[in-house]
Amino acid sequence: MKIGIMSFAHTHAASYVRHLRGEPGIELCAADPGPYPEGEVRGAAMAAQLQVSYRDSYDELMAWGPHGVIVTSENARHRPLVELAARHGAHILCEKPLATTWDDGLAMVRAARAAGVMLMMAFPVRFASVFARLRAQYEAGLLGDIVSIRGANNGQLPAQRAWFADPELAGGGAFADHVVHIADLIEALTRAEPLTISAISNRRLYADRARAETGGLVTISYAGGLIAAIDCSWSRPATAPTWGGLTLSVAGTAGTVDLDFFGPRARGLDAATGRPIELPYGPDLNAPMLRQFLRGAETGQQPQPDAGVGLRTLAIMLGAREAARAGSTVALSTLFPIND
Amino acid sequence: MRVGLVGAGVISHNHLPNLQRLGAQVRVYSEAGAPELVAAHGGTVSASTVAASLDELLDWAEVIDLASPTFTHYPLARRALLAGRDVICEKPLARTDEQAAELVSLAGQTGRHLYPSHVVRYFPAYARLHGAVRDQRLGDLAVLRFYRSGGFPVRSAWFADLELSGGVVLDMMIHDLDIARWLAGEVTQVSATWTRKDGRPPAEAAHVLLTHASGAITQVSGLWGAAHLRFTTGYFAAGTGGTLEYDRAAEPGFTADLERGPARGEAVPETDPAEDPYFLVLQDFLGAIQHGTPTRVTAADGAAAVRIANAALRSAQDGRPVTLETP
Repeated sequence: MKIGIMSFAHTHAASYVRHLRGEPGIELCAADPGPYPEGEVRGAAMAAQLQVSYRDSYDELMAWGPHGVIVTSENARHRPLVELAARHGAHILCEKPLATTWDDGLAMVRAARAAGVMLMMAFPVRFASVFARLRAQYEAGLLGDIVSIRGANNGQLPAQRAWFADPELAGGGAFADHVVHIADLIEALTRAEPLTISAISNRRLYADRARAETGGLVTISYAGGLIAAIDCSWSRPATAPTWGGLTLSVAGTAGTVDLDFFGPRARGLDAATGRPIELPYGPDLNAPMLRQFLRGAETGQQPQPDAGVGLRTLAIMLGAREAARAGSTVALSTLFPIND
Repeated sequence: MRVGLVGAGVISHNHLPNLQRLGAQVRVYSEAGAPELVAAHGGTVSASTVAASLDELLDWAEVIDLASPTFTHYPLARRALLAGRDVICEKPLARTDEQAAELVSLAGQTGRHLYPSHVVRYFPAYARLHGAVRDQRLGDLAVLRFYRSGGFPVRSAWFADLELSGGVVLDMMIHDLDIARWLAGEVTQVSATWTRKDGRPPAEAAHVLLTHASGAITQVSGLWGAAHLRFTTGYFAAGTGGTLEYDRAAEPGFTADLERGPARGEAVPETDPAEDPYFLVLQDFLGAIQHGTPTRVTAADGAAAVRIANAALRSAQDGRPVTLETP
């Protein structure tokens, strides 16, 4: 099966390539036409570094005839790549968030549907085994009714790619980068419908580099009385030993479960500097996500998380951005109607 | 010093022994449970330890310590201040903004001391955070996050009545709302989402977002849940100079795994007797009353916390953020 990599803009592209490179039966090819920011390894040079075949343009990549593609461009450039891949009948795994505007998101989902290709969202965290345990315990009734969830997805401002800090290309700052993972987990666990969103933000951390919000706090009210809070701040210092993490605390009427997805690690101290040594361990979450996509592309069965999840998490991200901008609470169904 | 303790519930079991440790003579008045409270802490039940009426207590005491239900704070504190007594009051200082404001100004007019027991300011992990912020260890504060959870308080019916208690926001989350303001300064905007699921016991939860005049932002989450829940508290604070975080469960100074361990579930967090915050807060207040020393928390702080908590309840009800004006 032929899998195309569309763009090396997102840092995740490299890890997807590393996973798929060794897969038996998978042929890989990438395209990453410029222009690129100065000082970033992109295009043919990046392909050479990753030891993956390369085409100079997306049209040439399409002419190669991929069964599926992975779209890892800047967030704001997902749409044209998804539309191009759909036109060529390739199944699509799209980096999160789905898009940076509601119109783009709707158009992408329509394009995939019209072409009869599958659109899957790259939300790896829901593939964690600890999340499967949470789901099993919830489905067995051990948590009772879920009343409240709080999640924190705090990391460093990504440094290897300048576009993360560019509000146009990223679709904002911390809201665009980190709200959707937790929104996806809440969706996967409860399937509850989000109704209203409030959010506040500031730009005090990484103020020298960022042009959009770096601190962001979001609350969401769901149908059925569930409430959630998300801290999506880039509040991990640039000098920290690891990038950050994601925690989720789920409270039901019968008890609580706390997950620290990237928490397990060996800890110590560096004798020369006194700085902490942190060596995280635990399974790679990209592997099961990529397997799910490949299986979908092979069998023709729509894998989860699907385009609907992409749209609903996009609505939450855009809602948070709008609520913070306007200083108000926004109703999602009015702002972001899904008209099928 | 003669201290009249009003109320004989769970929190009085913290106040009474600490008042005794501070050398106070304590007499208790409560509609129910006063003799049991006195006996439980080694006292002899008599007219000198249990007051027959509130008037008798007000007559006798120099200081009134209110450990009674929230909705009684205002009328009792008012009576005590008007009777010329100094007042220590459990949080929240009052149920409504107007009541809290009136108590603050009444204390000013009567020249009496009035202190709200925001005990979390005396918990070592929170005092440490405040010290670090004051010393600029974290630089300019940017994002703060607090959480607090425990079993739904079913020991008295008034907790479940929002009109009387203000629920999880005014009864429990007010601790962290106060800490957030203590650390990051005045709050200009409050938004909140709140939920309650009926059941036995019910579950109640809320998330509150605060915007501070300093530019920092805060999230406070609270939960009253299943009866077996451990008391959980924690925070994460990030500033331009670094981060600090604390989770009570992750920082145990004592861990036991015993076949015959104590029952689970706590009404208040267990504390280290060597630096018991419930002792420190009363020591601070009685010291101020006796020697005029400044306290870590003031009546105005208590009234500000009530305003923030009530703004959160209003925001949750109306479904939009509430702007706060500094009075």
